[in-house]
Amino acid sequence: MKNTSAVPALALRQALNAWARSNGVMWIYLFKVLLAAGLTLWLAMRFQLPHPSSAVITVFIVMQPQSGQVFAKSVYRLLGTVIGLAVMLTLVALFAQARVLFMVSIAIWIGLCTAGAMHFRDLRSYGCVLSGYTVALIGLPAVMQADTAFMSAVLRVLAISLGIVCSAAVSAAVFPQTSSAALSNALYNRFGTFAGFVADSLRGILERTVMEATGVRYAAEAVGLESLRSVTAFEDPHMRMRSGRLMRLNSEFMALTTRFHALNRLLVRLRQRQAKAVLDAFDSIQAELIEVLDSRRGKPLTEQDAAVLSERLDILRESVRARIRTARHALYEQAPAIIDRRDFETAAELLYRFITELHNYTQTHASLAAPHHEREQWNERFKAKANTMASAVAGIRSGVLILALSVFWILTAWPSGNMFTLNAAAVSALAATTPLPHRTAQQMAFGALVGVTVGFVFNFFLFPHLDGFPLLFMVLGTYFALGAYVSLRPGCMGYGLGSLVFFCFTSIPDNPPVYDPGTFLNTAIAVVLSMFTTAVVSSIILPPNSPWLWRRLERDLRKQLVNVIGHPLPGLANRFDSASRDLLNQAYGLANGNPAVQKELMGWTFTVQEIGHAVIELRQEQARLPDSERYAENTPWQQATRAMGRALARLFLKPSSGNLQRALNAVDSAIACVEEAREPDTQHFEESPLRRIQSFLHFIRTSLLDPHGPLASYAPSETVATGLSHAS
Amino acid sequence: MPREFAFHGVYLPTVTVLFVVGLLVTWVVDRLFASIGLYRFTWHPSLFRLSLFACIYGGLALTVYR
Repeated sequence: MKNTSAVPALALRQALNAWARSNGVMWIYLFKVLLAAGLTLWLAMRFQLPHPSSAVITVFIVMQPQSGQVFAKSVYRLLGTVIGLAVMLTLVALFAQARVLFMVSIAIWIGLCTAGAMHFRDLRSYGCVLSGYTVALIGLPAVMQADTAFMSAVLRVLAISLGIVCSAAVSAAVFPQTSSAALSNALYNRFGTFAGFVADSLRGILERTVMEATGVRYAAEAVGLESLRSVTAFEDPHMRMRSGRLMRLNSEFMALTTRFHALNRLLVRLRQRQAKAVLDAFDSIQAELIEVLDSRRGKPLTEQDAAVLSERLDILRESVRARIRTARHALYEQAPAIIDRRDFETAAELLYRFITELHNYTQTHASLAAPHHEREQWNERFKAKANTMASAVAGIRSGVLILALSVFWILTAWPSGNMFTLNAAAVSALAATTPLPHRTAQQMAFGALVGVTVGFVFNFFLFPHLDGFPLLFMVLGTYFALGAYVSLRPGCMGYGLGSLVFFCFTSIPDNPPVYDPGTFLNTAIAVVLSMFTTAVVSSIILPPNSPWLWRRLERDLRKQLVNVIGHPLPGLANRFDSASRDLLNQAYGLANGNPAVQKELMGWTFTVQEIGHAVIELRQEQARLPDSERYAENTPWQQATRAMGRALARLFLKPSSGNLQRALNAVDSAIACVEEAREPDTQHFEESPLRRIQSFLHFIRTSLLDPHGPLASYAPSETVATGLSHAS
Repeated sequence: MPREFAFHGVYLPTVTVLFVVGLLVTWVVDRLFASIGLYRFTWHPSLFRLSLFACIYGGLALTVYR
């Protein structure tokens, strides 16, 4: 009896849990949006703010499913709002009588804000967006009645702040979906998939396309985790105490993926040229590591697991060192070609370093269990990299849009011209940070059309029958719920947001309420027209998904390698890792729907990361060299490596066949010079920096000659064919 | 305490200023609680922190309106 009743109950609970994890989250979020909007509206009415609509609109702009994001964004948004207020009041005080100057300075300020929102790829971007939005929202109505400008501006800022505070309180206290839970979840699961990926690639059973897709995914995850980390610090005091370690973890993971990627590409090339002796020797070294990784495949890695794994890796590292020596002996007895020997040395060195880095990573992961830990001391920040040109263009686009609309306003003396300009300004500030601003603006325009139409019906047919706040909210709430639901559908964010914002803008009664169908219609027409104008203008003036932008990003990516050669060493690896991943992530998103370009971008990123890391390690080896005549500054091999650096920089600034040939010659001569100077074979590999340097040089050479890399198109066909035999 | 004070000729309600003061005080207290690990014993940490702010702000506001 007991059993039969327990089974359906269990099944029911499982079904409920599954629902709660998928659809339930969405419904809870809808409920939270409604609650926050209701609370804000009620308070705004209670405080008798003249425009409760600005408060409610802010709720829809600020609300996010995860509470950490709402907090972090709220702080920056409040700052942005206050800055916007200060700027606006200054402008009104200076230019209230000179409308041309006023509009020009508004256009410049909003242009600056939009450019800032694009340039800062972290939380500061929200501050910029909101300060532009505030200027538009409070300034244009205020300047029409300059004598009351101060009060009306302050009241609007109060309304915006009320919206921000209410949505922060609701998302914190009511069924919070914490960002810290999402962060630890992502961290735990990432290692499981990574372990499986590494094990499969070492076995050589993965397709090239799978590897490329995984590379993009890890780049996107690195960027995503960094932004999650930066918001959890606002949400959870325990996460804030671990912030340094989380940053370190992300940076170590990036180093790990780059290292593994280099090793993997080397193995792929070895398999392509069927270097059986080397591969066999390598198999004997990697077997143990594959076994360890297989045990973690697909499993989430908790802090306790990480501590256990870290101990295992520590033992593994010692045994791998011994195995490398044995394998080297066995290989050298077969008297292999020089290229085989160098390939083996490089692969073994890469594998050994990979295991060391994996060990570091698991140690940092295990340290998350303790509230305080010495690993918290970490100063190397994730360095996002935005293209200055792209942000400048976004700024200019918004500025020009506002100027054009204000000229129209001034020339036609249209009574709703200020609404027209105001909305275009606010929307261009909001849409600029989305990947495809013109599509967002277009969606918002359609949303706005629906929003104002429904608003008209509500205002003039329903509201006259309503009495009191509860009834008003019942009516408004139905539309809020519908709009919020639409905005949660993937790819429909703009529709929902547009309809909600402009429904509120036109339909929420002011204090005291004004019933004037004429003004309503004028405003509604102005709103919808301005949205469509914004959409058209952002798709005409240098839209960001056009080739020029991703070409610039690709050039930025290649320039990273030049930085690696020239910039000072401390913190360089982390800067390079984060910047190249951030660039790839942006460019890949922009080239969406253009697989050929995406493939080329991937190719460049991989080549830049491989060679960049080899160069960084080479420079680190050089910096650590002992004081001896063999390693002095003016030895031929030092000069040859410097010449190689210059040749590589030239090649990546301007890829061409001539430059590629020059770079290859420089690498060959560096390898030859190091060969002459290097330590005898009798000395241990760990004590011979020059032999390690040679393996990095050799790696750079194979990477330049990679027949599938982006540089292959510059290689004259006979170089690829004869290059290998020439070296051996 | 006075109920309003003048900031460059603009009258601000004291409670508005106290809101900011309350935020700062809560921030300090919050860091303190986090470092001694108090939040591990709360059922709903963020609700606790919100209520903490409400208590501090309410307490400060009582000095003005009483």
